[in-house]
Amino acid sequence: VTGPEPLELHDMQGLVVRGYGSLPYATFLLLHVVDGAAASSLVGRWADVVTSGALSPPPPGSAMNVALTAEGVDRLTAGRAPSGFSEQFVTGMASTYRSRLLGDVDDDAPRTWRWGGPGTEPVHVLVLLYAVTPAELSRGVASVTADAAAYGLKVVAQLDAAELQVNEPFGFHDGISQPLMAGLPKAGPGGDVVRAGEFVLGYRNEYGQRTERPLVPASSDPGRLLPPDADGSGAADVGRNGTYLVVRQLEQDVDGFWDWVGRASARPDGTVDQAARTRLAAKMVGRWPSGAPLVLTPEADDPAQASANDFRYHATDPAGLACPIGAHVRRANPRDALEPHPGSADSLAVNRKHRIIRRGRGYRTDTERGLYFMCLNGNLARQFEFIQHSWVNDPYFNLLDDATDPVCGVRHDGGTSFTAPGLPVRTRYQGLPQFVHVRGGAYFFLPGIGALRYLASRGLG
Amino acid sequence: VPHQEAVTVRAPVRDGELAGLTDLLRRMRDQGDRNEWVDFPQLRGVHFARLFVLDEVRDLKGRPIPASLVYMADVDGRAVDHLRDLATCAGVDALFGACAGYPGSPTPAERAAWLAGHQLRPAARYVHTVGRALGQVHDEARLYVELEQMLDRPDLPRDGSAAGYRSWLADRVRGRSDLAWAGRPPDGVDLAFRVRETVHLVAVPAAALVLMPVLLPLAVVGVLVIRVKEGSDPEETGPVDLRHAEDVEEFEDWAAQNPFTAVGFVKPGIVRALAMRVALLGLDYANRHWYARDNLAGVRSIHFARWVPLDGGRRVIFASSYDGSQESYMNDFIDRLAWGLNLVFSNGVGYPRTRWLLFGGAKDETGFKRYLRRHQVPTVVWYSAYPRYPAPTVDQASRVRAGFLPGAGSSDPAGWLALL
Repeated sequence: VTGPEPLELHDMQGLVVRGYGSLPYATFLLLHVVDGAAASSLVGRWADVVTSGALSPPPPGSAMNVALTAEGVDRLTAGRAPSGFSEQFVTGMASTYRSRLLGDVDDDAPRTWRWGGPGTEPVHVLVLLYAVTPAELSRGVASVTADAAAYGLKVVAQLDAAELQVNEPFGFHDGISQPLMAGLPKAGPGGDVVRAGEFVLGYRNEYGQRTERPLVPASSDPGRLLPPDADGSGAADVGRNGTYLVVRQLEQDVDGFWDWVGRASARPDGTVDQAARTRLAAKMVGRWPSGAPLVLTPEADDPAQASANDFRYHATDPAGLACPIGAHVRRANPRDALEPHPGSADSLAVNRKHRIIRRGRGYRTDTERGLYFMCLNGNLARQFEFIQHSWVNDPYFNLLDDATDPVCGVRHDGGTSFTAPGLPVRTRYQGLPQFVHVRGGAYFFLPGIGALRYLASRGLG
Repeated sequence: VPHQEAVTVRAPVRDGELAGLTDLLRRMRDQGDRNEWVDFPQLRGVHFARLFVLDEVRDLKGRPIPASLVYMADVDGRAVDHLRDLATCAGVDALFGACAGYPGSPTPAERAAWLAGHQLRPAARYVHTVGRALGQVHDEARLYVELEQMLDRPDLPRDGSAAGYRSWLADRVRGRSDLAWAGRPPDGVDLAFRVRETVHLVAVPAAALVLMPVLLPLAVVGVLVIRVKEGSDPEETGPVDLRHAEDVEEFEDWAAQNPFTAVGFVKPGIVRALAMRVALLGLDYANRHWYARDNLAGVRSIHFARWVPLDGGRRVIFASSYDGSQESYMNDFIDRLAWGLNLVFSNGVGYPRTRWLLFGGAKDETGFKRYLRRHQVPTVVWYSAYPRYPAPTVDQASRVRAGFLPGAGSSDPAGWLALL
């Protein structure tokens, strides 16, 4: 019919459009609002300096974005938060029901979290800082921390990311497969293009509709800070150009992972077989360490295909002989592998309704390695939560039997097997430990820049 | 083997008894499947069961409908036989004793008679696989697990042919007295049921054909009336009340399956009442004759479902047991069942706007998801006889078993072996 909707990139925060790959150093500051009015005036000032999604000029030596939890919106607006945010955002990641849905129970339960759970000070504001050098980053962190202290904000946690690397802590090339948002110049016809509304509120999603979002009477926005509702209702759109940002601190048991894989693929005499170990780990991930997908190169790693992403599963590998049905990448993004009619356009269309834009960064301390998992989506229930619950953690995903995601799945209630299909007969591994644990998390709203200014102004009026 | 029936018992709760009953249901739920009131696994052939309360409401004309207790079960065999079975549970007195007209200290026969007297008939039903009895589900699941374990043996040769593995497995199954049943075909549903279904298969279209000269003009008028009115039928708007959402969610996502229970009023007027009845008749027909085996219009995740009119047709309950989360269930609805859902649910008050009954409606993602959530009832007590098995897994186990049946030996051993 018509082309994609034009995107108001100048009003989007930069993280929506780019992962700041040119800024390898990052720190994420989690803040608690002590004094709402003072904090509002600071956040209002931040709205003038946050990095936008405008394509030019490219981001300079540093970037800053600001996001809010539901409680944060409430505090900054002095209890006058607009209604219409999604239930998932409003009730938060750490609610009892949501914990059950996400698998955050037992030793992953929010009460054990270092931040975001009931045992720590509530997080209201997230400031994401990126820089080209460690020194530049330190300057940014110091400045934001000083401002925060002066304006009634307290640091709950400072999450320092490790220098940006190609490989995630288990040693696999990460972040290869990203959906392209329709309307961006990179998103040509075909390819992995998904409608903008899946990732930014106020635009049409894969249903051709605008996802639920807060709309307010235009009269409540006398300064015209907000864009109008694109559906023409006359309301002002608090959601437009904003989106939901999921943050989860995921500790990765790197030694545990390689120990287990080494034992499971050991020679009959019990010694580790390096090649077999890499092969089994690749089977579990669905890509070789270089990133080369198993469906394209099933027998050995091929660095030439390290970034290959233009492939499907059903056409080349319906039974999972190359890339197991239960492999991490085949669960987190099954492409054309699922009902209805695997291999069909219908299957791909369903898949497009369950995509996320990943923006995570790794971290490393003396004792621990992991990922600050971050993703952007317009509909938390249909995108992030669905992937986590129905693909990653469902022990019966796509006719598997008692197998969660072998790499990042939970094993609280079984799910400890992994099957590598084979001819004439499959190999089933059992007793998989859990390799990834959640140590903190929250749902944030990453508002459009005008909406950030609007929300902050509500707390002053 | 029997077919499956949907049992529904509903009775109004006496004044002053509601709080105690609500509390009882919660205690029952906390005690689990083998609770002191109804020991579900002891009852014969119960696939799923649930107990919940419908709150007091006023109908569209403002007349009060008292709160009521509802019991539902999906069972092998006839509903009356199940109620006789249920009536042996003394705990039934504690439950339905809160209801108007329940007899004091009843005998099991009196209990059964009272329960039978408070049954509601579903207007439409769905059974994932008609004729697959509870025993067969459990047996085939066990066979599936055993076969997987046989293939897990570390000394298993890796160089055989698929046919070789299959005959090796078949030999072992034959040699096991507890698995030997696998080689015999499951009994089909009984003759009386098959005759009844065949008559239904033919009689409904035949009757429609005979009555066509009368029905067709009525249908045309009805559709046109609805077309005019559906543009202005009020839609429910706005987000779902958070407290209500949390009340429903408290009873969701404890197993691989979930209960879904929702209730709503039928739009006023004879045309909508008739449209609802005709839509449910058509739905029931399709479910019984086209979707009686492993999927409902391509959706494989529903075990059982029913649509039950109540309060003289003023309201309808939709209740099902399905796999996975409510979000994935609703996505299946929107992506794959929208027309069928619209045909039925668009006769409900507040449903997202449809065009010509079939279009729009469920295609409004936000409006539809909110509508269903808003009309959901907390399913306080819910029992599943196989909570770890999604429907496609149950089907998979049946396909595995079918590989041992006479005549299956030569066809695609590699494909069969890949099931394990």
